[in-house]
Amino acid sequence: MSIKTEEMVLNMGPQHPSTHGVFRLKLHVSGETITKAEPVMGYLHRGSEKLAEGFIYTQFIPYTDRLDYLNAMTNNYVYCAGVEKLLGWEIPERAEYLRVITMELNRIASHLVWWGTYLLDIGALSPFLYAFKDREIVLDRLNEISGARMTFNYMRVGGVKWDAPAGWIEKVQETVKQISESIEMFNTLVTGNEIFQSRTIGVGKLTKEQVIDWGLSGPIARASGVNIDLRKTEPYSIYDRFDFDVPVAEEGDAYARYKVRIAEIRESIKIVEQACSQIPAEGEIIHKKGARIMMIKPPAGEAYTRAEASKGEIGVYVVSNGKTKPYRVKLRRPSFVNVAILQDLLVGASIQDVVAIFGSLDVVLGEVDA
Amino acid sequence: MFRLLKGFGVTLNYFRQKKVTIQYPEERVAMPPRYRGIHRFFPDKCIVCNLCVQVCPTDVITLTGKKSEENPKKKVIETYNIDFQGCILCDFCTEVCPTDAIVMTARYNNLSSFNRAEHFKDIKWLSDNHIYGNYEESAPAPEAGERGEVK
Amino acid sequence: MELVYIILYAVITLAVLLGAVTYAILFERKVIGYMQLRPGPNRHGPWGMLQTVADVMKLLMKEDIIPKNADKKVFILAPIIAFVPSFAIFASISWSDNIYGADLNIGLLYFIGISSITTLGVLMGGWSSNNKYSLLGAIRGVAQVISYEIPLVLSVLGVVILVGSLNFRDIVYYQESIGMWLIIPQFLAFVVYMISAIAELNRSPFDLPEAESELVSGYHTEYSGFRFAFFMLAEYVYAYAIAALATTLFLGGWLGPAFLPGIVWFFLKMSVIVFFWFWLRATLPRARVDNLMRFGWKVLIPLALLNIVITSIIKVWMG
Repeated sequence: MSIKTEEMVLNMGPQHPSTHGVFRLKLHVSGETITKAEPVMGYLHRGSEKLAEGFIYTQFIPYTDRLDYLNAMTNNYVYCAGVEKLLGWEIPERAEYLRVITMELNRIASHLVWWGTYLLDIGALSPFLYAFKDREIVLDRLNEISGARMTFNYMRVGGVKWDAPAGWIEKVQETVKQISESIEMFNTLVTGNEIFQSRTIGVGKLTKEQVIDWGLSGPIARASGVNIDLRKTEPYSIYDRFDFDVPVAEEGDAYARYKVRIAEIRESIKIVEQACSQIPAEGEIIHKKGARIMMIKPPAGEAYTRAEASKGEIGVYVVSNGKTKPYRVKLRRPSFVNVAILQDLLVGASIQDVVAIFGSLDVVLGEVDA
Repeated sequence: MFRLLKGFGVTLNYFRQKKVTIQYPEERVAMPPRYRGIHRFFPDKCIVCNLCVQVCPTDVITLTGKKSEENPKKKVIETYNIDFQGCILCDFCTEVCPTDAIVMTARYNNLSSFNRAEHFKDIKWLSDNHIYGNYEESAPAPEAGERGEVK
Repeated sequence: MELVYIILYAVITLAVLLGAVTYAILFERKVIGYMQLRPGPNRHGPWGMLQTVADVMKLLMKEDIIPKNADKKVFILAPIIAFVPSFAIFASISWSDNIYGADLNIGLLYFIGISSITTLGVLMGGWSSNNKYSLLGAIRGVAQVISYEIPLVLSVLGVVILVGSLNFRDIVYYQESIGMWLIIPQFLAFVVYMISAIAELNRSPFDLPEAESELVSGYHTEYSGFRFAFFMLAEYVYAYAIAALATTLFLGGWLGPAFLPGIVWFFLKMSVIVFFWFWLRATLPRARVDNLMRFGWKVLIPLALLNIVITSIIKVWMG
């Protein structure tokens, strides 16, 4: 007598605690080992690109907030930069500095959320709270300048919406100092922990070739030895004025991605500190035509801009036909590109590793589905 | 080998520290004046230019005006409604308003309710929303405590 | 007459245990809360004292749901099988010099034997739920508990060799006679015991069977209401039992300076052990399945065996 066996298909999600949103993974498992993985996405699709065609240029900015809601500033920036490229506008100096400071603060906040939630996935409860405690002070600064904690809607075509309130720059300097102290604590609590290392070292290995073939970007690419950071390789805004390193690791596993992100927080702190000391004391914060948001009418043409978001390379392609509304907006969302690698990366891993691998990609579902 | 033991020191250290959470209904976060909360409306200032309706990305503002009794060339506001089911608090209405008739306050609570109709705020409710914010007639923002709560 | 005493003792123990579990859960949430810079439950009653009571009330009043395709009989039986042994082992615990249930000569053997039945409840619960996550949780749970049962028993053997008795009361009296707690001569055994106890109890960092971020909730995913409450109760009662065993074997049971009664000392020592588990939970991430197994078989069992060898040599050498 033979026992009938069949492959078990495990549906992970769309409602599952560690998919960070509505994401579904169809896992074919034999025992606890995965033989085939199918990522299923689109549960959060809102048609952002199509919506943009019905909006005047500025109206789409709050929608970019809602792509990668943990890193809204860079999304704001890359869209505004795209429209500015069409218009050919020069951005005032002070506005550029404010943009860089807020973008980098936001990157710190985004990486802190990743740090907390990743450890929560792995089973450590406290780091989540510690990360959110530190993120809170960053969000307070962003709240003071933009009036919102996540959906900032701070940048405008031609500059930024508000100047920094009195004493804000000093507060930012104080904040990043506090964050860099916390990073030390993070290292003591987690980085050296043997259990954490055993969960991440050698897990979800990505080779350099895979990274390039799949078009992965951001900390994932840099953790596999691909030294690409648009802030360095293709400096946009005023990033060429700051002295910072691009953390790169060679191993390509989850632990390398972890180390790269922690190092990136430190680099962001460096940039914020430099920007805070270089920022001109006063000046214009928006291009003289930018304040009239109803009147922005780029000449017919097309533009592609890209920037380094906390998740990877975010790109915006804007086509104008000379009217007040864009003809087409295409968004290159880093999480969407990065999440596709799961179908290769998960094969051969155990169910327990799924969480460790998926978490290490740092995917935000608002961005995957747009 | 035993670097994980160091972590115990970290957690024990936090055990002794002061707690940072804000006990919500009793204590509240003091939002900065720029905070984009629920709107306040000044009917006297409104010139019924309809810009806010045009700029609203989610089309949640509806308004009607009528001819002013004193000066037939001018218009005055008659009804002004914001449907907070759809409002994304993007602040564009405030930004385009030429007379600062619609402003945002730092009010962030009471945006949720059990009844959809309650999200539909009319001119009277919006005019009576006397919360501080980033506008001229605003009361001063409350002082924030050590953890950012209202003192 | 004796039967009345037995029943009375059992009922009182159960009542005390229920109260103790109620506050253990509160204690756990408070400790973890404090370590995470938040005050923990603080809404129900002063200092959140009634939080667990409210939780239990909620669980008891919930609709009793049995999944349509579940194996009904096994599904209903599983929480009972999980709970009963964890309570039954308390019969052998001796709380103080004169407060005890059964003075069993084979107390330790009884304890270990009965407590391993709990695993059956886990397996039955996971299997009968007809849920893939439950099944995986149950498989992990059983594999883990069985693997760690061995070092647990082996570590305890050192104590048995030294004392020469399986009776809990004899073990405590022995510690009184030599004037020190057995944690000192049996430190290695204590370490092995504590580590394997955590795995036995499925507590963090070895909480793989109910890893909420991977398996949703493990073997009791499909359980709700009072059946779920039974699983939770079993888990905490068993935690107390393991802590009581550690107290008896290694920390001198009820022994302590005379200004407090013995039973208070016993509870204090237990609380320290329980606090330690909560502290672990607040600090460490979850271990990997394969590492967990490797650690159990390749590190803990050899260590426990080494301890037995050393203890035997000392015993023979000292006569």
